[in-house]
Amino acid sequence: METIRNALDFSDFPRLDLTVAGAVSIAFVVFPLFPHSAFAMATMIQFLMFSLYGMGWNTIGGYGGQVDLGKAQYVGIGAYTTAVMLIRWDVPFWVSMPIGMCLAVGWSFIIGYPLFRLKGHYFAIATIASTLVLKDIFEVWGFVGAARGLEISPIKYNPPDFLRLIFRDDIYYFYTILGFFFLGIFYINWFRKSRLGFQLRSIKDNEDVARSLGINVHWAKVKTYAIATAFVSMVGSFHACYIKSIEPEDTMSLDISILIALMAMLGGAGSLWGPIIGAGILIPLKSYLKEWLGAQAGLVGIDLIIYAGIIMLISAFEPRGIWGIVEKIRRRTRS
Amino acid sequence: MDILVGSLFAGLLIGMVLALVALGLTIIFGVMDIVNFAHGEFLMIGMYTGLLTAQGLGIDPLLTLPVAAIVGFLLGIICYFGFIKFLLRGPMVAQLLGTFGLMLFLRNLALLIFGSEDRALHHGLLVGKSFDLGMGVIVSATKLACATLSVVAFVAVWLLINRTKIGKALTATALNAQGARYMGIPTEKMNALAWGIGGGSVTIAGALIVNFWSVNPFIGLLFTMIAFAIVALGGFGSVPGAFFAGLVVGMITEIPGFWDFFTYTFGADWMVDIPMTSFKYMWVYVAFFVIMVTRPRGLFGWKQ
Repeated sequence: METIRNALDFSDFPRLDLTVAGAVSIAFVVFPLFPHSAFAMATMIQFLMFSLYGMGWNTIGGYGGQVDLGKAQYVGIGAYTTAVMLIRWDVPFWVSMPIGMCLAVGWSFIIGYPLFRLKGHYFAIATIASTLVLKDIFEVWGFVGAARGLEISPIKYNPPDFLRLIFRDDIYYFYTILGFFFLGIFYINWFRKSRLGFQLRSIKDNEDVARSLGINVHWAKVKTYAIATAFVSMVGSFHACYIKSIEPEDTMSLDISILIALMAMLGGAGSLWGPIIGAGILIPLKSYLKEWLGAQAGLVGIDLIIYAGIIMLISAFEPRGIWGIVEKIRRRTRS
Repeated sequence: MDILVGSLFAGLLIGMVLALVALGLTIIFGVMDIVNFAHGEFLMIGMYTGLLTAQGLGIDPLLTLPVAAIVGFLLGIICYFGFIKFLLRGPMVAQLLGTFGLMLFLRNLALLIFGSEDRALHHGLLVGKSFDLGMGVIVSATKLACATLSVVAFVAVWLLINRTKIGKALTATALNAQGARYMGIPTEKMNALAWGIGGGSVTIAGALIVNFWSVNPFIGLLFTMIAFAIVALGGFGSVPGAFFAGLVVGMITEIPGFWDFFTYTFGADWMVDIPMTSFKYMWVYVAFFVIMVTRPRGLFGWKQ
């Protein structure tokens, strides 16, 4: 009871934040009622998925300050668990998703326990290596379809199938992921005020002092890593049902890992709204740039050049992200 | 037996080239604590430089090395003054993502200019010639020449760092940037020089690799990861470490060959079924992970 009250308690935010957040949430809920293109709908679902990924990353990367560039392996574990179980044994999504989360969290303990002895650059690079190893294994493992990947054919089921999460219309997917999205926000809101959340922020500020205060630094990091993993794997399972065709190259590539970290950083790592703002800017930008520029002949890759240029500008000139700018302005107006 | 010796030799030769690839990364990391994700993209640019110069001027690909070195040096300097300088003020996560942005930028620029198809060199003095070393071991002349030239370039850079005044200033900046600044060393210029040398050495490696490896805009990431593995094994910031680790990693990429050797020697049927060639680079990543976790300083590293 106490936990739920804590999760729903947003009273430490300024009123302006809450007004904007409320207005945006209402806009999300009523969005499908207004006329929209299928492309806008797909972008919206991508945005919600990636803001959930970003929220997961934000627990360890933002509040904890550990730069993790290996989140894609857990996307892959979640997506593959759901797809394999659905195709081979006809296990519904709502059963396979928790199983996928358990597998991913188990793997995150195996990987995370030795990994968190490292710091800084070393940690970031080692997470990349672990992802690449897993991706290479999945590319030759016949049981999960090797490099061709797996395909869920919707013909076998009769959509809308709420148990297996197979729909013909994107609107059902939209509301499912929107539900996850709100749950995610409430969870992170609880997390940042929890004991672990405070421990983590003190670790970020000064690890030695945190240790001298009696915090088990290593264990706190491993636990948070598992929480971040659970988030990412959950959305990975959804990804499998939504995209319906998964292969190692696009579920577990380095680009996904980096994109997840990048969104949280662009929005402002270590704040509740940061990853959502970041995803809200980057995902539409990426897909519309691709739509407008990528399809034109002779201009292959120009969308990604612009996108890379934006990444470079942000990291060089405003590394604290958009939320950092907002807070700077607030501090100035207050004083 | 000939498979074993052949694999050993192939591993040594490719290892020498890979050591040169990793040299630039380790210098940049040593001097300014930045992990350069765009390193493989520099190599890709070196490969394209070598290929286009050789085809455009109709000269032997091994003669394009000076052009590649100049291009790489300028590229490193431009990247430093145009971009990296601003990154240094930010936190570590911004540096990581910033160089990743640079990597995406260069890769897609190459895609825009050169297109996505594979290109390879088919001419040159040494193409198609090979030496028979006895015991059935045949080494292609291009690989041997590339390995030798890599070692020469490596030694040249090593001499530059250890035997000249500029190299001493570079080392001083790496050891203690603030102290070096108090001693009157222009650390800003030293950082730029590190990027120049790093870029130059890796583009030379690229112009060498293009002799026996086809090039496309997406090839960079593989070499970035291999270079990371070498640098992690040899120790971040250590130049001799990079050389020995390069040889080791070269051996690791030849694991499929050793696997074949053991399969034939022991007549083990179960070993045939494992698709070892698909795991060729996975062993590099595994080795990398194990080294990072057990000994993050590497074999010769001095940076904590």
